[in-house]
Amino acid sequence: MKVLVIEDEIALKDSIVAYLKQEGYTCDAATDYPSALLKTASHTYACVVVDLTLPGGNGLNIVRSLKENNADTGIIIISAKNALDDKITGLEVGADDYLTKPFHLSELNARLKSVLRRRNFNGQKVLRVGEVEVQPDAAEASVAGKQLTLTRKEYELLLYFVSNRNRVLTKESIAEYLWGDHIEMLDSLDFVYTHIKNLRRKIVEAGGQDYIQTVYGLGYKFMSP
Amino acid sequence: MRVLTKTSLYYLLVSLVVFAVGGTVFYLSLREEIYDEVDDQLFTDKENIIAYIQKHDRLPNVTSGISEAIHVREADPENLVMEHLSDTLIYSTYDEEDIPFRKLTFTVYRQGKPYEYTIFKSLMDFDDLTESTVLAMIWIFILLLVGLVFVNYYTNKYTWRHFYDTLARIKEYRLSHHQPLMLKESSTTEFEELNQVLQSMTGKIHSDFLNLKEFTENVSHEIQTPLAIVSSKVELFMQSENLTEEQAQMLSDMYGALNRLARLNKSLILLTRIENREFTVEEQVPLHRLLQEQLTHLQEIISMRGLELEVEEMEEVYVQMNSGLTDVLLQNLLNNAIKHNHAGGSIKVLLNRQKLCIRNTGEAPQDQPERLFGRFRTGDDAVGSLGIGLALVKKICDLYGLLPKYNFKDGEHSLCIYFTK
Repeated sequence: MKVLVIEDEIALKDSIVAYLKQEGYTCDAATDYPSALLKTASHTYACVVVDLTLPGGNGLNIVRSLKENNADTGIIIISAKNALDDKITGLEVGADDYLTKPFHLSELNARLKSVLRRRNFNGQKVLRVGEVEVQPDAAEASVAGKQLTLTRKEYELLLYFVSNRNRVLTKESIAEYLWGDHIEMLDSLDFVYTHIKNLRRKIVEAGGQDYIQTVYGLGYKFMSP
Repeated sequence: MRVLTKTSLYYLLVSLVVFAVGGTVFYLSLREEIYDEVDDQLFTDKENIIAYIQKHDRLPNVTSGISEAIHVREADPENLVMEHLSDTLIYSTYDEEDIPFRKLTFTVYRQGKPYEYTIFKSLMDFDDLTESTVLAMIWIFILLLVGLVFVNYYTNKYTWRHFYDTLARIKEYRLSHHQPLMLKESSTTEFEELNQVLQSMTGKIHSDFLNLKEFTENVSHEIQTPLAIVSSKVELFMQSENLTEEQAQMLSDMYGALNRLARLNKSLILLTRIENREFTVEEQVPLHRLLQEQLTHLQEIISMRGLELEVEEMEEVYVQMNSGLTDVLLQNLLNNAIKHNHAGGSIKVLLNRQKLCIRNTGEAPQDQPERLFGRFRTGDDAVGSLGIGLALVKKICDLYGLLPKYNFKDGEHSLCIYFTK
């Protein structure tokens, strides 16, 4: 699956590309407006990750031209502009998602997967890790065919884990994924711990393995067997 | 006190003193003059009487001359009054009052025998004169005063009009409106000077303000990208297979700090953007619905914290605002109520057409209530608290002319936003 990363900051572009490559995507990258336009015109990508402020032009124009010529391509905007209305403009023009810098790579990955899923690019309606199955369309999950009764937050947590399997997920990124901007008042990240504990218990009770590992002080990892 | 009132009052005071002193001096000199005149008349009578006696060697049979009355009696040789001037009062049956008289008492000898003469001269006229003089003085005083105050008021008002114009314009002046301070030219040197000083001063302040604002904006925006780079690198680093526990701990600390910095920066950018009035899109926002959404969203955190949420009133309220900013406002108010609370505490929410009130239990604030709205002010040392939430609330309220009020009573913080302007 081909993904194009348009980002003028080379160091950031490298990070994104490295993370996505580990996820098994074929990554292309462009660091300025003309080359980005050229690449989008000559190749078909499953998804394009585009920065709005680019040398030589506005990323929004790339979004517009993609919408006209390759309507199937998923688009995720990443921007330093933390603007409530920029976000709206971006989504109005046709982007699938919008992320404000700085963001967690794991979050970008989860959103990318979600966009691809919605665009039906991999034809995969079910995410499967070992005995765990997640059906994002129905917002349901099961272990070895046995339905899991999860709260909304637990379900989102599982989806996040499954999207970023075998990756270290920090408590901060999990908290931000689950609670968004309200994270500021979660003075300790104990809430994350509580949710993970419950999720673990429910998976194990349903007969699954204990997939979630604690990684030192870093965070958690969902291990595929 | 206005300058016009003040100068008018001074005029009044000074005129009062001048008229009091002037009136007294006038009265005294008039009195002196009249006494002189009366005394002259009395002495003339005396001379006439003495001359008559010397000429005819008998007492004059007329008991009146220029004066009102002349009394004569044989004098007591033991107690002779050679010449004595004095004031006296004589009761008049006609006027039914005491009438002031000037009297001259003297002794003349006829054939070696002393006779005491007393000549009276009425001072009634003099009293009348004084009375009408004082009355005239009062009238002149009043007329002059009215004229003076009137003229003074209007000339002052005319000369000070540029000053008041300048004052009104300064009151209206807002740095954030980016309109230069335009002042009317004045022919009065002092006011013209004042205008020039004010104009150059506000110009300087404005350019400093712009520089500072630009700097803050640039810094905040430019920080975003490096932050994103560092954050992504740390995240990649974390994925490394062979990290020691110590290294992992260091990475984790770095990541935590980075996230804090990123959130702080986001809030600062938001604050700057509100100040710059960049949120121009406004609509009728259903406040009750947004509040309900936020409460639902926060329900989990509230119960995990062991807090009790009580919605006291929830009317349908629509406000003309930017919906994004409305969310930020509600979010910060509720976050604040959750953050500065204690386990087992409560949060009470009230929304009606007049106000939105969020009340929560918590420790008494250490800071001055009005300073809580400043940046980087935190009521207590809540971990992870940036102290920027209430500054955002204040800024948004300022933008839409809402009035936030904070109060602490009986262990309960209450933050109310009044919609009425």
